[in-house]
Amino acid sequence: MVSKIGQLKIQEMIFMIVAVALLFVLVGIFFLSINLSNVKQTATSLAEQNSILLVSKVANSPELSCGNAFGTSRTNCIDFDKLISLSKKTEYSDFWGVAKIEVRKILPDEGDKICDDSNYPNCGIVNVLDKNVKILPYSSNFVSLCRKETDGKIIYNKCELAVLLIASEDKTQ
Amino acid sequence: MRSKKGQEEMIGFAIIIILVSVGLLILLSFFIRSPTKGNTESYQVESFIQSSLQYTSDCENDIEFLSLQNLIIACDNKEKCLNSRDSCDVLNSTVVDLINSGWNVGNQSVVKGYNLKITINGQDKLTIKEGNETSNSKGGFQDFARSGSNYEVSLNVYN
Repeated sequence: MVSKIGQLKIQEMIFMIVAVALLFVLVGIFFLSINLSNVKQTATSLAEQNSILLVSKVANSPELSCGNAFGTSRTNCIDFDKLISLSKKTEYSDFWGVAKIEVRKILPDEGDKICDDSNYPNCGIVNVLDKNVKILPYSSNFVSLCRKETDGKIIYNKCELAVLLIASEDKTQ
Repeated sequence: MRSKKGQEEMIGFAIIIILVSVGLLILLSFFIRSPTKGNTESYQVESFIQSSLQYTSDCENDIEFLSLQNLIIACDNKEKCLNSRDSCDVLNSTVVDLINSGWNVGNQSVVKGYNLKITINGQDKLTIKEGNETSNSKGGFQDFARSGSNYEVSLNVYN
């Protein structure tokens, strides 16, 4: 009789352990299914992270950086001349791995005037890249937009404050 | 005796339910939590200071128009611009313009306030504050040295 009660208790415990294990497995499957359904969102999030990383380093890339053209080497400094040249080049459209790159001058505020050969350097926005696709929110970073300027007497370095905006393609739809 | 054993089993079952619930809640919190967007990041504050120090001001000396970095040094040396304006006055107005252009401060805005400080050899030279100081802040600083003096520009942005 005692042994039968003992067996019953062991059985109870086994059932309980199996039930709990089953519960954990079900919960695991539930979250796994959610995770798998979010693969597209993860891809989007990775693209967004890429734009955040790019925005913090693109100003120092050889394609845009001031280098030593304005005296000593500077960080977060974009050569305005290089920028204007690059904005006309379509060969770079796949180089950056993002959907949109824009530089907006914020001091002095030149408004929404798009930069081209006719209004350079008195303009507000340089479109470096625009793939015309649906984009994610912009990642932004401050940069110094520098060029050589003259007032008739001397040639000097003219650096203005600008914001670099980068956005990745929204692939959720 | 039998009732006591039943109670013990119920307590055990309750403990298991609680443990499982806590586990589920922790897992759920990981899934529900989404990264906060729109907040200022430290790299933005750092880059703002670096870019601002390169900004060309209206203060001209015999050689060039001074960058903000050189303007801080000129202000420390009590120099005047070619148009007779005091370099410290130009420094003050330039810094205010830069901050107002870079950060949109307001209660409805992401940025609730800021605190910019320029120190020379540890002594406060210029402090500009606006808005509210909240517990959520991002900061950055940039230091440089010239003629034996140490200059430091620090900025805290409150979200």
